[in-house]
Amino acid sequence: MVQPDSPLRRQARWPAVVAGALLALSFLLLLLAAAIGSTGLESLTTLRDDPVALQIIRDIRAPRALGAWLAGALLGLAGAIAQGLFRNPLADPYLLGSASGASLGVSIALVAMGATPYASAWLSRLGLTGAAFVGATGAVFLTLVLAQGVHQTMRLLLAGVVVGVVLGALGSLVMMLQPEVMLSMQAFMLGSTGFVGWSACAVMALVWLLCAPLAIALSRVLDGLSLGEATAASLGLPLPRARVVLVVTLALATGAAVAQTGLIAFVGLAAPHLVRSIVRTTHRNFLLLASLMGGLLLLAADTLARSLIAPQELPVGVLTAVLGGGYLLWLMHRRSGAPGG
Amino acid sequence: MGPVTVSPACALQAHGLHVQLGRLPVLHGIDLTLPRGRWTSVVGPNGAGKSTLLKALAQLIPHSGEVHLLGDPVATVPARLRARRMAWLGQNESSGDDLRVWDVVMLGRLPHQAWLAGPGPADALAVEQALRATQAWEWRSRALGQLSGGERQRVLLARALAVQADVLLMDEPLANLDPPHQSDWLRMVRQLLAQRRTVVSVLHEISFALHADEMLIMAQGRVRHQGRCADAATHRMLEQVFDHRIAIVPVAGQWVALARDD
Amino acid sequence: MVDTMPRLDVMVWPRRWNPARAIRAVLLLLCLVFAAAGAGALEITDDRGVRVTVAVAPARIVTVLPSLTEMVCQLGHCQRLVGVDRYSNFPESVRQLPRVGGGLDPSVEAIVALRPDLVLLAASSPVAARLESLGLVVLAFEPKRYADVRRVLDQLGRVLDAGPQAQHAWNAIESGVAAAAQSLPPSARGTRVYFEVNAAPYAAGESSFIGETLQRLGLRNIVPAQLGAFPRINPEFVVRADPDLIMVGDASFVGMLQRPGWSRMRAIAEKRVCVFDPAQADVMVRAGPRIAEAAHAMARCVTSHRP
Repeated sequence: MVQPDSPLRRQARWPAVVAGALLALSFLLLLLAAAIGSTGLESLTTLRDDPVALQIIRDIRAPRALGAWLAGALLGLAGAIAQGLFRNPLADPYLLGSASGASLGVSIALVAMGATPYASAWLSRLGLTGAAFVGATGAVFLTLVLAQGVHQTMRLLLAGVVVGVVLGALGSLVMMLQPEVMLSMQAFMLGSTGFVGWSACAVMALVWLLCAPLAIALSRVLDGLSLGEATAASLGLPLPRARVVLVVTLALATGAAVAQTGLIAFVGLAAPHLVRSIVRTTHRNFLLLASLMGGLLLLAADTLARSLIAPQELPVGVLTAVLGGGYLLWLMHRRSGAPGG
Repeated sequence: MGPVTVSPACALQAHGLHVQLGRLPVLHGIDLTLPRGRWTSVVGPNGAGKSTLLKALAQLIPHSGEVHLLGDPVATVPARLRARRMAWLGQNESSGDDLRVWDVVMLGRLPHQAWLAGPGPADALAVEQALRATQAWEWRSRALGQLSGGERQRVLLARALAVQADVLLMDEPLANLDPPHQSDWLRMVRQLLAQRRTVVSVLHEISFALHADEMLIMAQGRVRHQGRCADAATHRMLEQVFDHRIAIVPVAGQWVALARDD
Repeated sequence: MVDTMPRLDVMVWPRRWNPARAIRAVLLLLCLVFAAAGAGALEITDDRGVRVTVAVAPARIVTVLPSLTEMVCQLGHCQRLVGVDRYSNFPESVRQLPRVGGGLDPSVEAIVALRPDLVLLAASSPVAARLESLGLVVLAFEPKRYADVRRVLDQLGRVLDAGPQAQHAWNAIESGVAAAAQSLPPSARGTRVYFEVNAAPYAAGESSFIGETLQRLGLRNIVPAQLGAFPRINPEFVVRADPDLIMVGDASFVGMLQRPGWSRMRAIAEKRVCVFDPAQADVMVRAGPRIAEAAHAMARCVTSHRP
């Protein structure tokens, strides 16, 4: 980007610096996460002699840590898209009903899996992850249908709320009728990277490689929208088409993350805000930075969740709320002390 | 409706422009011709449909009837080309507080940038010119949210200028501006006219509106009068449309609207 | 008692009346009344810590917990049940009874409409106070360990006036579990077992009743007592612990073979996994009179999956 003078040029370097810092921190944390297991922190050097431990690191810990980072990256990206698309700083990836849809999908799958052996066989191929993905994306599709397209943002938001509430109620009903699934559903709703393997990582990475470039290509639309919908239209931006693509990207990214790790709250909401508190930039950089921040946040939370009461595990969603929410509270406190602009 | 004579000497032409918001008709069959290279100010009482007219001309709201931009039917012009030819500045458009002033004004260059390309030297130059024209150059690296109302308005104005469009539609451009900056705005408009650009502004400051070349007087969704600002007929219609609560008087070589409280 | 009564000096009595005999009669009557009342009412402290006065042998009973339903029937008083919760399904006869909702969402109206003399529910049920304020007699029991089962059987036995049935039921459980333990060959003792309750994964620890059953069978649990009764554990822990045998419910088993790193576990590779169908799983998770059946199922599992 051409900058004619130094204050702007200095500022222009910031996004790259932040991106580098986030990547470096993530890498360090990945190494740390590989060293933390069911018995707490272990030195990686002593493990070199133990073949079982090496296998554990390769088969279980490494994909879990990477999976946590990838899921966080997907959620951070989705959160930034949601906040830009709806011009609302409180937007999160679950805005269009995808959370409730995923829960309903998983609860139906759990019930069906216990019901008949035939259902079991077919469902074990589709898997709980498939059910969650179908549920999440199906809910967003239902929202689009109810809102009759993307032309009015308010209608889209309202339809999303309605779909979320109705599907959530249906999911609760399913749980009530079959309480055996309640414990599993609770685990899903609080999120966990428990069984994330290399294939799950591959799926999430592929989805990210699809969604991130798409969203970044449309970053100018998100920038234009920040000036207001009418102004964005006056700048010749193809709003309806861009909105559809952005909603689809949002649904895919959220669905992929939720399918593998359950409903982890707050990452999609907090990651964009955390980035904004450090650097101000256009969406072209912002989407990527929010994604990286989301990955780091979820990786940190997951590592803590596994290590605090090892060998027991805390739900990841609780820790993401504590970490992300705590930092935001601190920011708010700091900002309320300073005079307004 | 008979065959329409369209001339490239006209910046904007509208024929039978009807706009309905919900079930309420707001504009009733407007026909107008706005000359090129001239400054037309649109005035009228509240609810006359001034902002709606501007939005309809800018193709931002659905309407029936034809609009021609620089001689071409606007419906046939691709969106990006239309955006390069016609810029619109709205009132009370919410804007993100987090972007820097520089980035906000750079958004005005979007119609000129290829899809995946970043800003180029021509864009940077346009942004600098726009920021200097609105005296906002000093705080180009500050965030929009840190500015006062008047400063923010000048940045948004700069954004509209950065498009370097042939036709500039501005809705209440003087909002939040203090008198020195209002005068700066006047100067800026004259510069635009010198560059053979067309300016259409909706203003409720009648005295400023009277500085324009042409005046379009609207009331209740219809055009009541279109004529030069210096004409007496324009002044009389202006007073009539405001229920004779104002009087247009010459003061120090300018026409000024005085409020009448009798 | 009557013989030690002192003679009463009375002021004015008709000659024919014998005051002593009259007083003896009244006192005898009073004693009988109190004795009868004492024989018909019982004070029980239930699992909420509340002392409840219950009439003995209530004619109409509603239960809102499957293990309590099974206990009432085990004590031979199934015919007194007039309503059960929707999850009670054993014995077959209770399936015909009207349902009053679930453990977490019982219908107060349905319970009251059945005019029960006694309502048995879990200590964690939200409606106990409401039912008591409507005048019903409520006993809250929530057996979670073997000791709880014995105690609750005993208390229920007294309430139902079941005589020695409670002791018989407990003896049957103990001998059943012992028999199951006997049926295991000596080589199977000390087998290290991982019992998965739920796919999160939640495991049954040593301090749960499933864990107690495993202990009585002479088996070892890879989840130690200090982690609690049903801890949610790191899947890596199971791989590390490398159990000899895995026990899991049907629904939980789906996808277990695809869990990362698990396919290399000895138990999975050698197919030493017992999958319990829903009916068996029901028996496993209820701390009720069928614990012995659960023990037998586990023992069969161990024997049939010997290396």
